[in-house]
Amino acid sequence: MEVETGDLIVGAMMAVFGLIGLTLASGATDNEMYVFGLSLTGFAAVFGFGLIRRHYDKAEAYARKENGHG
Amino acid sequence: MFIRHETLERNAFLMLVLTLLVISIGGIVEVIPLFTIETTVEHVTGVRPYTPLESRGRDIYVREGCYTCHSQMIRALRDEVERYGHYSIAAESMYDHPFQWGSKRIGPDLARVGGKYSNDWHYAHMANAQSMVPESLMPHYAFLADTPLDLDDLLPRLKAQRAVGVPYTDEELANARADLLTQADPAADNAALLKRYPKAIQVGRGGSQPTELDALIAYLQVLGTMVDFADPANENLRQ
Amino acid sequence: MANAVEYNDDVVKKFVIACVFWGVVAFLVGVVLASQLAWPELNLGLSFTNFGRLRPVHTSGAIFAFGGSALFGTSFYIVQRTCHTRLFGGEALANFIFWGYQFFIVMAALSYVMGYSQGQEYAEPEWHLDIFLTVVWVCYAVVFIGTILKREEPHIYVANWFFMAFILTIAVLHLGNNLAMPVSVFTAKSYNVASGVQNAMIQWWYGHNAVGFFLTAGFLGMMYYFIPKAANRPVYSYRISIVHFWSLVFMYIWAGPHHLHWTALPDWTQTLGMAFSVMLWMPSWGGMINGIMTLSGAWDKLRTDPGLRFSVTAVGFYGMATFEGPVMSIRSVNALSHYTDWGIGHVHSGALGWVAFITFGALYYLVPVLWKREGLYSTKLASWHFWIATLGIVFYITSMWVAGIMQGLMWRAYDAFGFLQYSFSESVSAVHPYYVIRMLGGVLFLTGMLIMVYNLIQTVRGPARQPASLAMAEA
Repeated sequence: MEVETGDLIVGAMMAVFGLIGLTLASGATDNEMYVFGLSLTGFAAVFGFGLIRRHYDKAEAYARKENGHG
Repeated sequence: MFIRHETLERNAFLMLVLTLLVISIGGIVEVIPLFTIETTVEHVTGVRPYTPLESRGRDIYVREGCYTCHSQMIRALRDEVERYGHYSIAAESMYDHPFQWGSKRIGPDLARVGGKYSNDWHYAHMANAQSMVPESLMPHYAFLADTPLDLDDLLPRLKAQRAVGVPYTDEELANARADLLTQADPAADNAALLKRYPKAIQVGRGGSQPTELDALIAYLQVLGTMVDFADPANENLRQ
Repeated sequence: MANAVEYNDDVVKKFVIACVFWGVVAFLVGVVLASQLAWPELNLGLSFTNFGRLRPVHTSGAIFAFGGSALFGTSFYIVQRTCHTRLFGGEALANFIFWGYQFFIVMAALSYVMGYSQGQEYAEPEWHLDIFLTVVWVCYAVVFIGTILKREEPHIYVANWFFMAFILTIAVLHLGNNLAMPVSVFTAKSYNVASGVQNAMIQWWYGHNAVGFFLTAGFLGMMYYFIPKAANRPVYSYRISIVHFWSLVFMYIWAGPHHLHWTALPDWTQTLGMAFSVMLWMPSWGGMINGIMTLSGAWDKLRTDPGLRFSVTAVGFYGMATFEGPVMSIRSVNALSHYTDWGIGHVHSGALGWVAFITFGALYYLVPVLWKREGLYSTKLASWHFWIATLGIVFYITSMWVAGIMQGLMWRAYDAFGFLQYSFSESVSAVHPYYVIRMLGGVLFLTGMLIMVYNLIQTVRGPARQPASLAMAEA
């Protein structure tokens, strides 16, 4: 199954967010920036994982449907 | 009408562009002239950038949300001027990034609180407001007295303010840390400090390190004191 | 049968749940704040529990978390149905908008209690959070406008004019008011680019239009769909829609200076702000008339449909608040009202009476539809919610009117010798009883909210709708 354009764009955004988050946390001069940086990376990681999971769930359901009705 | 509304209702792009134009007008008319009309910020003597200690105190005032209970804007109304002093002029907050005029008085206006109370009064009041004003609704800020002032980012903070238009000189930046420590030590020689920052009030209770409370009180003690309204040189106040 | 469109209702459901959750949180923090003003010991002496740090948690929670989630959810629901097409951008983008917005809300609230704020009302989040929000908002604009552009229904429904104006204007306001210089890219503290009087004007250009576009235009979009839908009547007047839409979005922008009367803002700006604020009464009441008169021929539904009752009462409160606002914008009135609790009363009559009530009306309509249930678990509970919440609002606004006018009069009172009669602290003691009543009003409003939460949970858990009646309802 093809990867949707929306998925690719958002996936790329998550990659960028993850990197930005780590950069900010690593150089943080106050607690807030540290917490924000790590949280941003965490958010990007979890959301990115979610994107991948949904893609494969959909591919699996699609394949199952094809086999079931084919 | 030159455009039939039905045309707009069938064309999202047109509707968006027209909306953007319509909502831009009010902002342009009300905001831009405040930057271009010279009399908006009065030409008076006395207004100066905050000292490094006062500036840190102001940062604490902003982050604690003090503006949610206290205003810093005395209105041109008779009873207000009698209660708080000369009405606030725009020049007095010209270096306030952000402005802290406030919108609510759960506590009194602070625009001219500088010099009204002694340092000792402030130290007692900030730790436990009800000890000085029994009816007060103010929270206790004793934790500020227990928090040492972080001096590592002092210079970056002042430089950032310079970047947005506060005219700190190179000399002031070079002496920032020294000036802060001087102002937080009641026993220190303040000649150089006063030369750079007239009317700066020394605070401190003789601790080894300046605290956040020292900074906040230094800030409060300068509020409203910079412009001498009795000085005839400030003729330009008449608008 | 044209109902083959598979709408993205998953994102709508998510925002509905978020809206209800944040509503409870925001109203609870509000009750805490009200209690702290009545009994300051409740500030507890800790840095992260005091009024100054908690207040933005409440205001951001009510406006952006509760109100914002309501707007995202309903705008996505409405734009799909009125354009007869699925949401543009795919699942991933819609999910990012939801989770990204929730992330922003949580991070902002955390930052306030940790002691980070830009020190401007309703724009407290620091620069890094402002940038993140901008990303989410751009995605929102792309998805919403994209959906309109790919619409199957050629005519853009009136609700969507309001949503588009809201999305566009909030973007402009956010960018304009939040221009700031960070101390460093690794530091959460920043300094606003503008200062003093110019900053004041920009802040209230922003602040008043956060009310005008976030809390008004956006929720009018909501109103324009859910009232006709629930009443099963067409919108009262097409012509009023057009006139009040354009006059509203034009005039609102100018109203900011009424927050700065008698201050160091120049007289000419104050006068402009006052004039436009007074004129704003008309387009606002145009919206009110359009909303209420849509019930023409269906007034009996107010007795039987508590959700609709909320929506129509909301429009009534909207009319009240948009009359009070222009009155308070008059300089001589403002000389009394500014800085007092009258302003707080006004804000809450709008926030609770208009914003929250129209949201409740939308939620009571949407939850059964989205989860495919026959109807609400209990219309009786919804009715209880209505009356308890309304009583709460009445307690709130009347106590604040009394407190506010009392403060204003005490501050300007002179005794027989020509001296100021009252000290400031005397005015503080005088309003204590009204602060207690206001807190009780908030407790009532929160109680009503909790009744709604129970009702909606039971609705979702209850039996699903029969397929036959489902087909009829979607038509």
